[in-house]
Amino acid sequence: MKYRLAFLLLSLPLCALAPQGTSRSIARGVTQDSPRSIAIDSRLAADAGLRVGDRVVIASEPGMPGDSVVVAAIVERRADPAEIARGEYRIRLHLDHLQALLGYGDRVDRFAVGTRDARATRDAVARINSAAYGFRAHRSADVAVETSRTFAVVSRFHRAIGTITIVASAIFLLCIMLLKVDERRRDVAALRLIGCSSRTIVGSVVLEAAAVAVLGSLAGIGVGAAASWIVNYHYQAVYRTPLRFSIVTVDIVLLAVTLSLVLGIVAGWLAARRLVRTPPLALLGR
Amino acid sequence: MIATLAFASLRRHRARTALAVLGVAVSAAMLLDMVMLSSGMRESFRGLLLSQGFQLRLSPKGTLPFDTEATIRAADSLVALLRARPTVEAVSPVLGGQLHFPVAGATVTSTALGVDPAVQGDYELVAGRNPVAPDEMVANDAVFRALGRSIGDTVRAASGYDPQLRTLSGQRVLRIVGRVRFVYLALDQRAAGLPIGTLRAMNGPAATDRASLVMVRLRPGADVEREREGLLAQLRTVTVISTSEALRQVDERLSYFRQLAVILGAVSLVVGFLLVTTLVTVSVNERIGEISVMRAIGVRRWRVVAQILLESSVIMLAASPIGLALGLVTARWLNSILARFPGLPERIDFFLFQPSAAWTALGLLALCGVLAGVYPSWRGASQPIATTLRQEAVG
Repeated sequence: MKYRLAFLLLSLPLCALAPQGTSRSIARGVTQDSPRSIAIDSRLAADAGLRVGDRVVIASEPGMPGDSVVVAAIVERRADPAEIARGEYRIRLHLDHLQALLGYGDRVDRFAVGTRDARATRDAVARINSAAYGFRAHRSADVAVETSRTFAVVSRFHRAIGTITIVASAIFLLCIMLLKVDERRRDVAALRLIGCSSRTIVGSVVLEAAAVAVLGSLAGIGVGAAASWIVNYHYQAVYRTPLRFSIVTVDIVLLAVTLSLVLGIVAGWLAARRLVRTPPLALLGR
Repeated sequence: MIATLAFASLRRHRARTALAVLGVAVSAAMLLDMVMLSSGMRESFRGLLLSQGFQLRLSPKGTLPFDTEATIRAADSLVALLRARPTVEAVSPVLGGQLHFPVAGATVTSTALGVDPAVQGDYELVAGRNPVAPDEMVANDAVFRALGRSIGDTVRAASGYDPQLRTLSGQRVLRIVGRVRFVYLALDQRAAGLPIGTLRAMNGPAATDRASLVMVRLRPGADVEREREGLLAQLRTVTVISTSEALRQVDERLSYFRQLAVILGAVSLVVGFLLVTTLVTVSVNERIGEISVMRAIGVRRWRVVAQILLESSVIMLAASPIGLALGLVTARWLNSILARFPGLPERIDFFLFQPSAAWTALGLLALCGVLAGVYPSWRGASQPIATTLRQEAVG
């Protein structure tokens, strides 16, 4: 339960304005001499079958008389993570119109003040707060930090999941490389018997392990990119947002390839060392 | 004999078997965490909603409880109408707002809940008593800390500011009579409870006869969904939410976590499956000569299949207890991260351990273990005996 007292008037949820909250609550065709205009979001337009130029009636509460308005614009939602889980519709009105509709008087929930630079921002915040009564000025950066706390938590959660995934992948990779090298025991025995040095054999096995790791990483990048595309396609449709849920960045690719390469080389080296220390005839099962 | 051979095979490559068990254990831990995540928050939220025994919640039309600042008008007549229904046991109206306490030149602001103390379901009394008189209030630890007061002290409180007059508006002197824990609020959120009539009076004419939420407790045996539908048909200005409807809404909002749990759980299973399949396949390839000898001396095909299936199942089952223990530790860690969500009620757990979650994870792992052995066992049992023996003999 959170009280959202700092909400901008213009972003009040539609349910407070068109109380049925669905297309059924919007009566069409009510005429008025000079109706005010509103902008609605594309989700509402799609669900209610509204187009630019349509007339609708909006009211502050269910059953209350409302105003006839014209849909002047249909707007796309921003790619805002804070909004994705909220299924509510949004409409935008002129400030005085909404104040009158809600009986809100000469009040707003917040002001946005533009300043010239960082110093001017500090001065403005200090001067407003010294004179203000019943409200406070905050820097946009501070507000952003406060409102992004949710995403900071989600980000930490993702990092934790990523750590567990990396541990699981590392063990998987070690195991596979161990098996891969172990399969070469007869070849290694033959090489040892014809006089190849342990160093040459370890080097060749490590090189092979590195090649397998790099090839696997490249395939993994392809799979990851495809999975990312599927995730974005699915969640953008589910939440009806242009937000990108998954991105494959250069940093992520470099981390994955480096990790894979290091693990592959270590696993190959460990397995090769074990093989060259075993007598060749034992490797051949004799 | 099947078990002896299977265990002998696993013991032959101890490092390999240990790594496989470790890998599967991490996958099992992830799987358990994801099973807990997929159902935990739902069950945790259900427990929270039902903890005070109220099955229905009425909020302004089109909104979830306290999701906006919208309020229900003519709340008293709505409460009277609800109390008159034979299936209704108790009705608790709640009005949300804020209280500002002037303390030593500064102002401490807290959430305020106006309730009917006789039937309220928003807080649990920790010390003291419920507010009975209009000038009494209860508060949580965060308010006590901020104010530096104790039970029995009086405090000046206001419901708002008047910027024109530069004074606090709706001022009252309230006596703190109890220390409480608010059920639906975050632990660090300052909150106070007082009689709903007092909060309405402090907020002025705009709050007269208003409520943000009305909670309804039905008599035992009443059909909650039928009551909900009846109220929805009768009342046009409110949304009636049952526990199952609230859970559906929460599911919708938290669907990201549920889907993440399904995806990561499936990936964990696939990783474990691939690991065991690969390991057992390589193991079978190495022992293909032995398997052919066994077949040649009369061991039946199904025994070979059973031995290999047992190997894969043993790896999975040996990893399961380690994985489950690891899963509980990581679940606690992950839960501590998600518990820092701003405004999350103290009692909500994202990772809620239920025996069913452990059994589900164990069942999936066992099934995976059996399936992982299908391909290598089929391969091992279907090799032509004579050809394989000749190839093995020639080397």
